[in-house]
Amino acid sequence: MAPLAIRLARRLALTLFVLWGAATLAFAGMRLVPGDPARIIAGGVQANATPEVLDAIRDQYGLREPVGVQYVLFLGRLLRADLGGSYQLGRPVSSVIGEQLGSTLSLATGAAVLGFCLAVALALLTAGRPRARAISRVLEFCSISTPNFWIGILLLAAFSFRLRWFPVLGDEGAAALVLPCAALALPIAGVLAQVTREGLERALDQPFALTARSRGATENRIRARHALRHAALPVLTLSGWVLGELLAGTVVVETVFARQGLGHVVVAAVRGRDFPVVTGVVVLSALTFSLINIGLDLLYGLVDPRVREAAA
Amino acid sequence: MSLSDDTATRVDDGPVRKRRSLRSRRPAVLGAVLAVIAVAAVVLVVSAGGGDERPAVRAAGGGPVAGGTLTYALAGTQVSLDPAVAATAVTGLIDRNIFDSLVAQTGPDTFAPWLATKWTVSGDGKTYTFTLREGVTFHDGTPFTAEAVKASLDHVVDPATKSAYAASLIAPYEKSRVVSDHVVEVTLKRPFTPFLQALSVPYLGIQSPAALAKPVADYRPVGTGPFSYVSWEKDKRVTLRKNAGYASPPAGASHEGAAYLDTLVFEFVPEDATRWGALTSGQVQAIAGVPPVNAGKLRSLPGFALNSQETPGLNYNLYLNQTRGPLRDVRVRRALSAAVNVEELVRNIYFGHFPVARNPLSRTTASYDPTAESELASYDPDAARRLLDEAGWTKTDADGYRVKDGKTLTLVWPYWAEGNKEQRDVLAEGIQAQAKQVGIKIERPAVDTGAFVAKYLIGGGYDLVDVSFARPTPDVLRFAFASGNTYAKAGGNVALVDSPQIDRWVEEAAETSDPATADKDYAAVQREVLRQAYVLPLYTPVQLTAFSAKVRGVAFDAQTYPVFHGAWLGD
Repeated sequence: MAPLAIRLARRLALTLFVLWGAATLAFAGMRLVPGDPARIIAGGVQANATPEVLDAIRDQYGLREPVGVQYVLFLGRLLRADLGGSYQLGRPVSSVIGEQLGSTLSLATGAAVLGFCLAVALALLTAGRPRARAISRVLEFCSISTPNFWIGILLLAAFSFRLRWFPVLGDEGAAALVLPCAALALPIAGVLAQVTREGLERALDQPFALTARSRGATENRIRARHALRHAALPVLTLSGWVLGELLAGTVVVETVFARQGLGHVVVAAVRGRDFPVVTGVVVLSALTFSLINIGLDLLYGLVDPRVREAAA
Repeated sequence: MSLSDDTATRVDDGPVRKRRSLRSRRPAVLGAVLAVIAVAAVVLVVSAGGGDERPAVRAAGGGPVAGGTLTYALAGTQVSLDPAVAATAVTGLIDRNIFDSLVAQTGPDTFAPWLATKWTVSGDGKTYTFTLREGVTFHDGTPFTAEAVKASLDHVVDPATKSAYAASLIAPYEKSRVVSDHVVEVTLKRPFTPFLQALSVPYLGIQSPAALAKPVADYRPVGTGPFSYVSWEKDKRVTLRKNAGYASPPAGASHEGAAYLDTLVFEFVPEDATRWGALTSGQVQAIAGVPPVNAGKLRSLPGFALNSQETPGLNYNLYLNQTRGPLRDVRVRRALSAAVNVEELVRNIYFGHFPVARNPLSRTTASYDPTAESELASYDPDAARRLLDEAGWTKTDADGYRVKDGKTLTLVWPYWAEGNKEQRDVLAEGIQAQAKQVGIKIERPAVDTGAFVAKYLIGGGYDLVDVSFARPTPDVLRFAFASGNTYAKAGGNVALVDSPQIDRWVEEAAETSDPATADKDYAAVQREVLRQAYVLPLYTPVQLTAFSAKVRGVAFDAQTYPVFHGAWLGD
């Protein structure tokens, strides 16, 4: 138990370091972009803010301080878990994020579950079956190389505008979640299916598969019970990538499907130089990434006894 | 015990089945075939032409019906619902239903009573005295009095409000004085004729003083309008409810009393194709920002109506920075103007839905002078080449661009992608190509918002900038061409015009109480800026709105805002 505790503590310390790095990068990024932040906060290019208004903004957000002082103040607030208030919305960042988190979370979770299920089903059905594999590959490459945006528009045109099975605007209930989830899940499923199938095929060529067959195990049982476990490791490793894809994809999917969510919030915040909101989302993403990676590390041990023994 | 080390296999498998081969193929092939069929079906359904379930147009019989929800899908989104804070067009459109104004604009330069039943202007043009309508209450129950007017105007100009637009409309505002419960006196620092027009826009709508007294984080828009605010789901929708006690429409409104609709919902749908599909499949009843390419199609679709409103104010114009490089020479400016076949470009790109502009002002603006276009250097590539010769750009380089003193005739036109809309980038490519024909090279560096503002708009490192500005008053000419109104000073003079003559005209027009003098001054400005080619007019932006035929009674006011007060849903 002790080694595990030490490992966890080390990973958590590393997480703090990652958070600090992400926050610092966000700070630097937002300060390095050219242009007067006060003017952009005041409404961007179209705004006709008077010099008095610009001064009021600079005073309120401490934009006159040297960058070093601003950075120290920023880190101090972050240590106290105070994300501050949004420049544009006049509300605490935590409530802005909290309000939008649910919508993005349900979209991302739905897409991840759908993506994994599709990938595993496809891989189980087509591994080691040359003709089926060829067809499946074509579909997978199509879904990988089609942008989320276009998949979304096609799905909407077919299932919402033409067949009217799913609504485009209502975001209440599960029906409205189907199309956005599918649009987000398809490219992920394409990649995961290829990786899973390769793992399955390798496992099916192993002597243990032959042994199981010789005992009379059905093909489906061998695939689902024996080989899949071997194929799971590379898929787990890819999960970090999946999370990144999901985060990037939600921005696009939320736009096409006119959904609320963090993607919208962060795009508007970057454009409007709404620094506290950008930092809040960046820190939250970094935290999610780190925690999921720790979780995956622990999962490796569960899936593969060899990892467990090596760690012990 | 068997030899197998896998107990699951042994216990569960039961009797050994006969197998044709070690690896079965059937389910996989079946699955793949099903997948292919599914994809083919999707493609077929998407590409199949003609809708069959669309609502049919019914004869418009019977009077207005009360009740129902109208959902209107908008293209943009907003950051604040406070009309005094926001500069976004969407906020004006939504807030128009929540807030009444002191006066209503009824024509290019005519105004009718609204919350103010009458008003007088002092002889020096600096003091406006408004007599207010009695018996009006805000949605929160606060009575509408002179205090509310004072609080609303003071709120707009307070630097703490961080007004991005509204404050600039009433820049000469000095103070308001409550004379009695229903009389308020507004003092200006200098005479300012566009004041009434400014008061009529939703950005200066009258707000409940009780709502304004609350902290910014708790702000809710509370007005006296036909609809009251219910909720705002950020980037998703704004919901308004009928104000059952409404009795203060502007003079001459087609409908008195409360609105017919129970609920008015504004959905934010940024994607053009999604908005279009939501309308044609009956999921919303109206959409804003119909793409011009779809507008023609809509006419042939039964059950829908297209509405187009030409935007008053400044057209979508290209401004020529007259303080920098080759464009300091009026001949080069006129050469550029003559090099571009604006008419052909605009007609081809916008399918005839956007009118070609030949004047910096749109034709629906007061004091628009149709004869001013005679001063415009219209399309004539030969004349353009001659002008360049005269200006000394006589040599050409290997690419065909004009050269003078070893320098190529190059103009910088920053491309700010975030501000791009209505295929303006395509139009710019056309202009670029046509300028090349006469030997003018136009560069379009792509810039982000920060660089666009700091390096170009304020730093002045550009030769050309394109912008449109909608506001139904000829005073926009002062905004665009007065020497004191450069971008750095919160104005729109991006051609950096510095002409004492133009300054005199626009100031006289803003201060005079004689409409004939104002007309003469504004006409002179329109002629002068075209003669000097400070500006190349491109097109008049048009608001293309589409409605389901069920929607009746939507009117558009002088500022092109849809008015939902008298709207109702038929069958």
